[in-house]
Amino acid sequence: MKGYAGKLLRVNLSNGKVATEEISEEMKRDFLGGRGFAVKLLWDEVKHVDPLSEKNKIIFSTGPLTGQALPSTGKMVIASKSPLTGGYGDGNIGTMAAIHLKRAGYDVLIVEGKSPKPCCLLIEDGNIKMTDASDLWGKSTFETEDILHGKHGKNIGILDIGPGGENQVRFAVVMSQKGRAGGRPGMGAVMGSKNLKAVVIKGTGTIPAADPNKLRELGKKGYDEIKAKDKYDWWIGQGTMQAFDWCNENSCLPTYNYREGVFEHSKGMDGEVVIKTKVDRKGCPLCNMQCGNVIEDSAGLRSELDYENVGMLGPNIGMKDLRQVALLNRMADEWGLDTISLGSCIGFLMEASEKGLIPEKVSWGDFEVAQKLIVDIGKGEGLGKLVFCGVRSASEIIGKGSHRWAMQVKGLEISAYNCHACPGMALSFGTSPIGAHHKDAWVISWEISTDRFSYNKEKVQKVIELQRIRGGFFESATVCRLPWVEVSFGLQSYPEYLEAVTGSAYRWEDFYQIGDRIYNLMRAYWIREKGTWSRQMDYPPDRWFEEPHSQGKMKGVKLDRVKYDEMLSWYYELRGWDQNGVPTKEALEKTGLKGVSKELIGRNG
Amino acid sequence: MAELKFLGYLVDKAGKRSQEVLLERPRRLRDLLPSPFPEQDIIILINQKVGNLDSMIQNGDRVVLMPMISGG
Repeated sequence: MKGYAGKLLRVNLSNGKVATEEISEEMKRDFLGGRGFAVKLLWDEVKHVDPLSEKNKIIFSTGPLTGQALPSTGKMVIASKSPLTGGYGDGNIGTMAAIHLKRAGYDVLIVEGKSPKPCCLLIEDGNIKMTDASDLWGKSTFETEDILHGKHGKNIGILDIGPGGENQVRFAVVMSQKGRAGGRPGMGAVMGSKNLKAVVIKGTGTIPAADPNKLRELGKKGYDEIKAKDKYDWWIGQGTMQAFDWCNENSCLPTYNYREGVFEHSKGMDGEVVIKTKVDRKGCPLCNMQCGNVIEDSAGLRSELDYENVGMLGPNIGMKDLRQVALLNRMADEWGLDTISLGSCIGFLMEASEKGLIPEKVSWGDFEVAQKLIVDIGKGEGLGKLVFCGVRSASEIIGKGSHRWAMQVKGLEISAYNCHACPGMALSFGTSPIGAHHKDAWVISWEISTDRFSYNKEKVQKVIELQRIRGGFFESATVCRLPWVEVSFGLQSYPEYLEAVTGSAYRWEDFYQIGDRIYNLMRAYWIREKGTWSRQMDYPPDRWFEEPHSQGKMKGVKLDRVKYDEMLSWYYELRGWDQNGVPTKEALEKTGLKGVSKELIGRNG
Repeated sequence: MAELKFLGYLVDKAGKRSQEVLLERPRRLRDLLPSPFPEQDIIILINQKVGNLDSMIQNGDRVVLMPMISGG
């Protein structure tokens, strides 16, 4: 099949061994790329290991569309067994490294083992080197990237970690291009555990395609179509920050550790404020609808904002001032910490302090304290030690019912959407295959436009449909979903793209089948690695069921546990999983996963 | 008075973030909006209930018009 570089690069940091392997035709056909390749490799190669041991592996995986001259294709997936959740973990990232990896002749990079000292992995086409990175250890991601560009030039791709990853904060991310982040469930910590400070890639080859002329024509048409969309200008102005006002209006803004869905200071940091304060726009390679809003933070330095980090470091911790939020966000990027989990951890500590469960005074909206907490978390010192492994772990340490408002699912902190009044989105978070993340299915618009308060089967079907498209296709192709989801770029373009790239004809039904296979294998991975499983793993936190909103138009609203449970049962039924959420042998074999079920026997909790 | 609130790119289409209109009799929502106004991929809530461009609006109604967004 064309369109792939066709090779996997394997580097072992313990012994310096480097190998290249062919990627089989079956692998391309059955798993497409990106997330699909990653979960297959983890299933086959990473079993029952400590995620922070040298036996874990980290996978950098592109797809057939990565790097092609098509809209928003500058993406790769970074995956590993998660040190935050203990299950399957991944995240996508927009980076020149994705393009350089393919130009260097590889679809996938697997890093194994552990370097005896801090190192940087340098990939220049077929020339692979591990260089000493002692001079970079301890440096922020911004400093690291400056130094690496100084050494290797501008025309490279860099994936790096900050001190957070070095210290193995369990929600440390991988960073690139001073503000792009990927791998929420601790992919940065996995790099840190391997003493791998950075991967630098310089590829000089050509990315192959079956029909380059057709591809050029489709690319031009696609870019032009996106720019002509009705919503384009607004998107360019606000990017994902358009969601801030929208979520506040619809009572789904995460506020005071997800107690409320509306924020009394929202006007201080909504999309209009962003437009007024914006000094630049940033984005991923090959994108013509860049979403990064750069503003000057309260220290006068540049910070790249999007909705998730403003939501979590703003209303969720009671911060009122956008420039101060921007400073916290820049600190998170420099330390290489996930802003969603970070905002949730700080919110958790503020609530714990308010309830008298910890002796330290950590008040809502206290800017000085928030800054200190970021440093403490990055170092694993003081109060930072308590949330170093995320809010689930923190609630297990302090007890006293704090698990009810530790806002996570499967150990991953929930993205910036409050679901007291969004049962479909609660199910989406509950069943997200990496823990509570929004990338797989975001269903709030749809449920508000139909019947917001219902718990019907149609809503469950919608969640699965979105998981197939967003979590299955886009994460594996590997290409950004935002042209489709944010400016209504047509889904019908993607089978055409795949055909021009690979030479094989695809229908959306084929992508759905691949998506279902990937979802079954991700779920199987969790179950095998956890050793036991029950439907409780697919529940959002008790707060949403027990504590109704006290403010706004949704005052008094909370989720109904019995009805949520019914939706979850339908979800399992539609996926062919049993009532504990374990894929049945039939469902696995229907998606071509023979032999997987025997590794799951006896796992029902 | 009826209150109309616009979110997202619909602010650009309406030329304002909100509007109050005094209605002598109930009117179709589309007659209160500039033309052309997007009809696809939008959500209309009238007093928190799902409506459409042909819904009848009367004094006291609060109408929110917003795009279908997809949460990043």
